[in-house]
Amino acid sequence: METAFFELNKISKYFAKVIANKDVSFSIQSGEVLALLGENGAGKSTIMKILYGLYKLDEGKIFKEGKEIKIHSPKDAMGLGISMIQQHFSLVSSHTVTENMILGNVHGVIDKKLLREEIKKLTEFYGFNINPDAYIRDLAVGDQQKVEILKALYQKANLLIMDEPTAVLTPQESENLMKFVREFVAKGNSVIFITHKLKEVMSVADRIIVMRNGMVCGDLKKEETNELDLSKLMIGKDLILANRDLTQKMISKEVRLEIQNVTVQEEAEIPTLKDISLKLHKGEVLGVAGVSGNGQEELCEVISGAILPTSGKIFLDGEDITQKGIREKIDMGIGYVPADRSRDGMVMDMSIAENMILKSSFDKKWQKHGFIDKKILNQYTLKEIDEYSIKAPSPSVVIQDLSGGNQQKVILAREVDNGKKVIIFDQPTRGLDLGAVNHVHQVILNERVKGKSILLVSTELSEIFALSDRIAVLYKGEVQGVFHHDELTTEKIGLLMAGYQVGEES
Amino acid sequence: MINLLSMAIMMGTPLLFGAIAEVIAERTGVMVTAIEGIFIVGAWAGFVGGYLSGSLAIGFLFAIIAGVIVASLYGWICIYLKQHQVVTGVAINILVLGLSAFLYRVIFGVPTIPLTVNPLAVIPIPLLSSIPVIGEVLFNQNILTYIIYIIAPLSYFMLYKTSLGLTIRSAGENPEAVDVAGINVYKVRFLAVLFAGAMGGIAGAFYSIGFLGLFTTNIIGGRGWIAFAICFLGNWNPKGAIIGTLAFGFAEALAIYMQAKGGNSFFPNELFIAIPYIMTIVLTISRKSFNIPTKLGIPYKKEN
Repeated sequence: METAFFELNKISKYFAKVIANKDVSFSIQSGEVLALLGENGAGKSTIMKILYGLYKLDEGKIFKEGKEIKIHSPKDAMGLGISMIQQHFSLVSSHTVTENMILGNVHGVIDKKLLREEIKKLTEFYGFNINPDAYIRDLAVGDQQKVEILKALYQKANLLIMDEPTAVLTPQESENLMKFVREFVAKGNSVIFITHKLKEVMSVADRIIVMRNGMVCGDLKKEETNELDLSKLMIGKDLILANRDLTQKMISKEVRLEIQNVTVQEEAEIPTLKDISLKLHKGEVLGVAGVSGNGQEELCEVISGAILPTSGKIFLDGEDITQKGIREKIDMGIGYVPADRSRDGMVMDMSIAENMILKSSFDKKWQKHGFIDKKILNQYTLKEIDEYSIKAPSPSVVIQDLSGGNQQKVILAREVDNGKKVIIFDQPTRGLDLGAVNHVHQVILNERVKGKSILLVSTELSEIFALSDRIAVLYKGEVQGVFHHDELTTEKIGLLMAGYQVGEES
Repeated sequence: MINLLSMAIMMGTPLLFGAIAEVIAERTGVMVTAIEGIFIVGAWAGFVGGYLSGSLAIGFLFAIIAGVIVASLYGWICIYLKQHQVVTGVAINILVLGLSAFLYRVIFGVPTIPLTVNPLAVIPIPLLSSIPVIGEVLFNQNILTYIIYIIAPLSYFMLYKTSLGLTIRSAGENPEAVDVAGINVYKVRFLAVLFAGAMGGIAGAFYSIGFLGLFTTNIIGGRGWIAFAICFLGNWNPKGAIIGTLAFGFAEALAIYMQAKGGNSFFPNELFIAIPYIMTIVLTISRKSFNIPTKLGIPYKKEN
């Protein structure tokens, strides 16, 4: 048998006695694309961070071409030809492309001219169109990723590890990335691809390692498996997917929320929302697709009242609510599940019960003689814990101690209650595993059936397609178009997300 | 007038030492809020070393060592133990203030006449110092002034043209990126703080043995904080630090000059003494855009 390029042998890693990896063994050959598949918290990133020297292993051995090696820091890893692109890029946004590429890789006085030549050669070789003097903050996310890849190439890496690389890309950008991966391995290099997307795995990987609960539970060749088997391996049980009730095809004619020509602009800056007009009907899920950072957050905040539009109007059931503040909008029945739940959705150090009334603490229903009545609150919280099957021992548990999925359920419970008429979901399943995702989808569909109007912002196209009645595409703060569910294909929506008009031939 | 300008350059010298120190450290993401304490300990150690040995060079060496010791305490608490930088700095400043007063008495008792040393001599640079006005203002200074005006441009070059500078700047903007590049963030930050300790120690000693020739407990009187403010006002850039120190040096020189002239009823001395402090407040408020290092003041926590 051929000796493996890199081999991991029985690696275990504990975080304060919690097992992150247990006896993880697998190998990667030269010229191979390996997919590391698993749910959140399955230990995929951890094992790769060990290989890259960011974490220290507690037990086990690593081999390169049959010889045992020790990796104590990323520097060691780079010396061995390993490079890793983190899920959240490690780029300095106020520095240039060149400066980011050479960080830690050159010594002494920086020879800008020489470096520019080197980097230009590298970008041309791989057909990357990146200006070495551009500042990272001015680059699109897809281009930032290219900079990360260039950084690895500059270090002459021959094993490239990518942690969820397509999470931030449009379908077209993802396709380009896959093309690069193929070219790169064709030159005898190897790629390890961390992901939880089954489609990607099937399209690019040669071999698939499935992880669950910190352990390897499958090592399969692509030809020998399929998406269904992989998903079963990954979750450990069958998954019944939430789906729209197709019988309810008709969209109600009653308009609940209407946004008229709304623009959001800060002083002299480029508007984050440009002349947006949308209608949200009763009992409808309106999906908002787009690459993140194209105005989604502003759209949600302008409806929820966190920011006021620079111009334009917003109506709820015909009433002008443009100038109303957050609290008034809560009172009117607008719920909002923000994308960044730890920043905008809850107070980490407070209990579940306290987080439940975070946005309605002034409501009389919690009070007795002007004080918050713990009994009422706890009863309510217990009911919600039960209803949303939140895994928590009691209402007084600090929310920080819950898993991401359970935290999200708490917010969901609260906002579904707040949102008597309209609920805004901004990336409601980001960072959640399949089981939790399914639960969130079920909640959204249930509320839809109850006649609530739902605005669903997501960068996951599969989510948008699975839940939406109509789909709006945002690009640079503008609505590229609103389509019925059946009018769109993945390809069409991808083009819209990248700013092309559909029907436009190039 | 020439006197005043010359004095401005001289009084700006320790501030520039402190401000450059602060710029380098803050670029790595650590505010050295212990800078006032480092100034004080530098003044104290410089005087003790200089007085006891009779050599100013040894005095400055003592000041450097003392500054580094205080800085390492601060760096250890803030960088490795990840404690709050403002709280830690304030605590250390109070500690050092009391300790230096106490140790001064332990060593020297309570002398009736203040103990003095001969401060740093002026070294006129041949030829250059005889240029009218400019010569007298710029080239008729003590050794530390010359040194800092070499260090300041060098530090600019280091920050923007070398890989070390890139590492330093990156550590304050995105320490994860530095970590992933295989560089130890803690080490970069700690060494920068130690450098600040050495520079701050010299700055403190400048007041005791470089200029006054004696030590009193309130000798620094907030000048460490002024250096701290200059770093902000100078936009974390050595160029800005130079401009800032010249302005503050001038304000200080003016205060000393007016004091020497004797006050008048309209502008009491105290007003002039207060000028640098008033200036700090006014400039801090009026400064509009800042290029603040993104992770300034935030301890780096590595998982694992």
